[in-house]
Amino acid sequence: MANGYAGKILKVDLSSKSFEEIPTSKYEEWGGGHGMGSKIFWDLCKDKTITGDDPRNVVTFMASPLSGTLAPAVAGRTEVQGIGLQGWPIGWFTRSNFGGRFSTQLKFAGWDGIAITGASDSKVWLKIVNDQVTFEDATDLWGLDTFEVAKTIYGLQDVEGDWQAVGGSRDGGRSTQRPAVVASGPNAETFAPLAALVHDGGNGAGQGGFGGVLALKGLKAISVLGTGGVEIADPQALMEARLWSQQYAFAGHNDTGNTVPGNWSMSSNPGNAGGYEGAASRPAGCVGCIKNCRGRSTNNLMPESQCVDPWYTMGTGTQGQLHVTDLGQRAGLNAFVMLGMSQWLTKLYKEGVIGPGKEIDSSLPFESIGKTEEFGIALVNSILNQTDIGADLALGWWQAAEKWGRLEKDKKSGWMASDVWGYAHHYDGRTEAEWGYGSLMGDRDINEHDFNWITYWCSSIWAAYGLEPMVSAERMAEIVAKKCVPYDDEPMLIDYSDEGVYNDSMAKLVAWHRHYTRYYKQALGFCDWAWADFVNPYGPDFEGATGEGEPKFFNAVTGKNQSFAEGMEIGRRIWNLDRAVWVLQGRTREMEVFSDYMYDVGSTDMSGRGYAAINYEMPYTMPVYENGEWKYKNLAGRQLDRAKFEGWKDKFYALEGWGLSNGAPTRKTLEDLDLKDVADALDTAGKLGA
Amino acid sequence: MADNNNGLSRREFVTGVGGTGVGLVLGGLIVKGFVLPDEVFAIPASGGYLLVDTKKCAGCTSCMMACSLTHHGQTNYSLSRIQITQNSYEAFPNDVQINVCRQCPYPSCVDACPTGATYVDEANGNVRTVDEAKCIGCERCVNACPMTPSRALWNGLEKHAQKCDLCAETPFWNEDGGPGGKQACVEVCPVKAISFTSEIPVQSDSGYDVDLGHTSALWTQLGFAGAASSGSH
Repeated sequence: MANGYAGKILKVDLSSKSFEEIPTSKYEEWGGGHGMGSKIFWDLCKDKTITGDDPRNVVTFMASPLSGTLAPAVAGRTEVQGIGLQGWPIGWFTRSNFGGRFSTQLKFAGWDGIAITGASDSKVWLKIVNDQVTFEDATDLWGLDTFEVAKTIYGLQDVEGDWQAVGGSRDGGRSTQRPAVVASGPNAETFAPLAALVHDGGNGAGQGGFGGVLALKGLKAISVLGTGGVEIADPQALMEARLWSQQYAFAGHNDTGNTVPGNWSMSSNPGNAGGYEGAASRPAGCVGCIKNCRGRSTNNLMPESQCVDPWYTMGTGTQGQLHVTDLGQRAGLNAFVMLGMSQWLTKLYKEGVIGPGKEIDSSLPFESIGKTEEFGIALVNSILNQTDIGADLALGWWQAAEKWGRLEKDKKSGWMASDVWGYAHHYDGRTEAEWGYGSLMGDRDINEHDFNWITYWCSSIWAAYGLEPMVSAERMAEIVAKKCVPYDDEPMLIDYSDEGVYNDSMAKLVAWHRHYTRYYKQALGFCDWAWADFVNPYGPDFEGATGEGEPKFFNAVTGKNQSFAEGMEIGRRIWNLDRAVWVLQGRTREMEVFSDYMYDVGSTDMSGRGYAAINYEMPYTMPVYENGEWKYKNLAGRQLDRAKFEGWKDKFYALEGWGLSNGAPTRKTLEDLDLKDVADALDTAGKLGA
Repeated sequence: MADNNNGLSRREFVTGVGGTGVGLVLGGLIVKGFVLPDEVFAIPASGGYLLVDTKKCAGCTSCMMACSLTHHGQTNYSLSRIQITQNSYEAFPNDVQINVCRQCPYPSCVDACPTGATYVDEANGNVRTVDEAKCIGCERCVNACPMTPSRALWNGLEKHAQKCDLCAETPFWNEDGGPGGKQACVEVCPVKAISFTSEIPVQSDSGYDVDLGHTSALWTQLGFAGAASSGSH
């Protein structure tokens, strides 16, 4: 049936080394990606209270109906879910996501996703070629880095750019493509909470520690190659939609260029803007991308790495940054936890806490920080080999801090810039409330730039460089309100003023964000680096493609007639299913508080990056509504008020239909979402919303 | 077709092939040539060609998906008449190849076909293409193509050979294609690494590797990494 779906999901049992097919139709109501993954996890993982290293943990790799299609900045994403190892106090049921080619090859092979269950008693890698699924011996791959694993598998499958018959017969399928391989680093089970999954050059699913989860299951890598296609319900409409989208993108304006710097919007220019000094390079896109934000260069270092990938190595000089980042990608280390951890270690060193003969004894070359690559390389190797402080850091960041007796005091002081659930502080929840609040109401640092790009980056860049804003704060608020269906009757959504961040409007903004991202970005695959598209220099009167674009592509591919609002409701349903899992895992209202420094220490701005508690990349200038007017205002230095934040939680819980005392979804909320079985499960556990 | 003289003069023919890569062979060696006034058989030059800039290509494969979508109604690399091959672990510029049909002046695929299924389509600007109904599945065209990977490919779903027709026949796209029309790959390429020309370009063993240049100084100014030393040359 031409509806974008491959029609079947691969369920793998590592314990018995067997597999079976699950009809995609069973889960189609969840869209794809995260929605399907959450429901599959709900169905297959019977005991939600297990830890991430339990063989009963279920890990899903999900594509969407839009994977492997011309939907722009959508087709290349793969959603990964399961119980993680990184979080604190427990790993939570969590998610990550990576770009590249994997989900496309998976679709072309005839699968909408993979559900990994059980654990293997031997080291294996999974080989998928169309409908042929085999468990291969990974003994010789186990100690290899992520790049070496892929290159080894390329060689085994003998694909070198010519047509290869892969189906065993003349009409069995041919391809010129290399298989898409996702792998963990060498012996990833030994540093499991920090272990990412890496695909191709720099496409990592870092957060959650899923490289470690799979390594503990005995699974080193998954390779997939497909020679089929994605059947499109309305090919003409899809082609028209793709060409329509170019009006919003740099792709449609090569001749005039873009006056807005940056990476987070449909309209930004291609190519990785950093890290290639002195080298020629190309932009390198994920499948079907209209932006192509990554890059590959003549120096052949850190290919396709992007954004935070090289950030934890800053201060090592350009060449050092390239080398350490490349090493980290090969090692399969989660770049974002490395960023937070490196900042903390640097602070401890500057304060005389860590070093030879210090409270935390270490012989790592801290003195080279900010000068050469020596420290970065030594830190990575110490973790990989569990030597020096790496022996403790391999247990996880907060885990190591607790072992060293630093956790509580460094969270209080802010030396540990980690605001929620053991994850590194990203954008500042004291000021950019939707980011911090959304992370705390969920399972991890959200890493969703929907509002961040316009309300922080654009606003702050305009202010910092004295540029005339592309749109006024009032116009930005108007555009956001118009597009944030079903909260489009709320004009104050992006009021980040001292009072605004505790208002009903911020509850609505966070709820909209949670629901939008759960469906459009994580279930359908709309890339965080392009969507949501609110303010766009090429759009009519600066309005971006969001609202019109998402359903246009979904409907062209699937043949459905789903409205944007209907998609938002599916997102709300997914979000509540996830919430129910967290409640069963032990989530309570009392747990949903930030680290103390978020309340007790004001943020400072960008000076002195490399130290902990430096949470701003540049002074935070954001839209506020004060004294009857919208304006942009520098909000640096804000501290959260505990009582007011608890008041905001009341508003948010009420809006979501969760019990005010325990933060759990009520029976009515779940049954209204056609999740009676979920309500029953919470009821049985005595954890329904109250 | 062998005796079909469309009035092309020798001068027009020579101009058409641009003086390079002349697909001009004396009679007997090509069965599907045109009879020129002096009785020399030749194949008329294609009315159009795809130009590519491999150094600008982002490897997103949008062109491949657009090709199969417009021709077959599905996104399918294995049905695409343009093939992007790439290796993340190779250094730029050797990490990406754009493998596009060159609409050869002397098309080996046309020459090899025993049934005339692979032919020069006069109705569509002399583009080299395949009449699927005449294809017997011998794959001689696939094997005859001197390029790697072969630009003529086997469609295992519909059981026939096919190749780039410059979008002359795109049943799933309501645009006029072929020489003089639009090409799906050109239209969707987000970095404008593919272009169309009616003038035959200089060709080499490595194919058309034409510097299309940057169409805007802002491309460089706004962060296409490496600026002047980048893939823009």
